[in-house]
Amino acid sequence: MQTIIEVNGLKKSYKDKEVIHGIGFTVNEGEILCFLGPNGAGKSTTINIITGALRFDGGSISYKGESIYSDLLGYKSRLGIVPQDLALYEDLTAERNVLFFASLYGLKGEALKEGCRFALEFTGLSDKAKDKVNTFSGGMKRRLNIACAIAHKPELLIMDEPTVGIDPQSRKHILEGVKQLRKQGMTILYTTHYMEEVEEISTRIIIMDLGNIIAEGTNESLKAGAESNDASAETVSLETVFLQLTGKSLRN
Amino acid sequence: MYKFKQIFRLDLMNLLTNPMWVFYAIGFPLALILVLGFLMSGSYGHTVTSYDYYGVALMIFGIFNAATFSANSIMEERIKSPNMRIVYSPVRPFYIHFSKVLASFVFCTAAYSLVAVLLHITVGINYGGADWWAALAIMLAGNFFFASLGVTVCCLLKNEGITNNILSTLFALFAILGGLFFPIDGLGKAISAISWLSPAKWMLAACFRIIYDGDFTLLAPLIGGLALLSALSVLLGARFFRGEDYI
Ligand SMILES: Nc1ncnc2c1ncn2[C@@H]1O[C@H](COP(=O)(O)OP(=O)(O)OP(=O)(O)O)[C@@H](O)[C@H]1O
Ligand SMILES: [Mg+2]
Repeated sequence: MQTIIEVNGLKKSYKDKEVIHGIGFTVNEGEILCFLGPNGAGKSTTINIITGALRFDGGSISYKGESIYSDLLGYKSRLGIVPQDLALYEDLTAERNVLFFASLYGLKGEALKEGCRFALEFTGLSDKAKDKVNTFSGGMKRRLNIACAIAHKPELLIMDEPTVGIDPQSRKHILEGVKQLRKQGMTILYTTHYMEEVEEISTRIIIMDLGNIIAEGTNESLKAGAESNDASAETVSLETVFLQLTGKSLRN
Repeated sequence: MYKFKQIFRLDLMNLLTNPMWVFYAIGFPLALILVLGFLMSGSYGHTVTSYDYYGVALMIFGIFNAATFSANSIMEERIKSPNMRIVYSPVRPFYIHFSKVLASFVFCTAAYSLVAVLLHITVGINYGGADWWAALAIMLAGNFFFASLGVTVCCLLKNEGITNNILSTLFALFAILGGLFFPIDGLGKAISAISWLSPAKWMLAACFRIIYDGDFTLLAPLIGGLALLSALSVLLGARFFRGEDYI
């Protein structure tokens, strides 16, 4: 498996407070890499830095061996970003939103229309294409937030808590979609604080807490590590793993 | 260029489809000029009626407000998060803020041109007759400068509310000092001299000299000055603009 992104010694401070303490990891082609961590762990900060949009104070990030800043626009054009906060024009239709954002990735004419059709269909919003976003439910907006990130068929899809605040059905739809996108060849970087999601979709997991990476591995390997300390394999969950590592629960 | 066109079109649509902005750019100056023109009609003569005076003076006040539109279009809460998505995408940062400048410029120019035409037709406000192009040129240069100023100050202060407060206070001062609400040349030599500190005074004097005396001497320095300030403001805007402020 080819390494797409390599992060080394990454540090980030807001004002004088350091919130990311020199972390390092890689993103490999074809994986669904999940970042799991409680509120304030530094998931969004890390992800925003990887997008090339947020500056950092130490360390390096490279894309296929080159610093992402050597050709920032070229690098950005390979990414699809689903921000944690909805980023949509409320007064425009779903279709206009997707068309606009996809056009910023250079899509034109038939390719633009095709990308838009694909994105709306994929997120189950085809029949709402002509509706304005401000008439959408929260779950539909979440789905559109994803559609706007995939119309240009990115190589690496970065999703920051894409399922926050939506019903189980919409969530299932999104998780299925993520797995399908991987099958179509996308690499996915996914953050969440729901361990159920991580268990369902991840091919690899990075657990973060307080600006540090505290564990890394597959669902199985992380649980196996915890098993030796805890009693039976059945009762071991990622929650247990997190509890053992930090002495606190993931949920608070 | 394709990407810039997309962003520009969207920024312009965001202004045009906001009823509050449309009212503020068209209805407000129109009503203000008509009301003040009517109320003050006794205090002005027949060559320069009160309508003629306020039709030019308050239009200049409107030009100042181009800064309000542009400051809003770059930092307004409603479009801040979708703007963030533009920051993530592969477009030059310069496009993002320059598009707001250009969109506000076009929006204000369209709105004020409409107001001027309406006023000329209804109450016969004099914008220079055959020399109308000079008034238009001053408006274009003014709209562009103030649109760029709004974006630049907003990029510097990172806050639309504070930007609006500072700029509107400054503009009110400029307007009073420059005689936009009432002529102040009659208030004495000293005040008359001080009033030249206000850009409003320059714009007003340039317009009136062209319209009533056919005197174009102020036109070139005024437009040259505004062009220079615009270039400076756009450059500073590019320097202060940081995409990550949206995140
Ligand atoms: N713009 C900012 N200014 C100051 N501090 C910030 C800013 N953004 C994030 N932080 C701080 O950085 C730390 C990491 O925040 P971050 O948003 O990356 O966490 P997260 O893991 O994404 O959390 P959540 O699950 O709540 O989204 C937190 O302590 C947060 O308070
Ligand atoms: Mg977050």
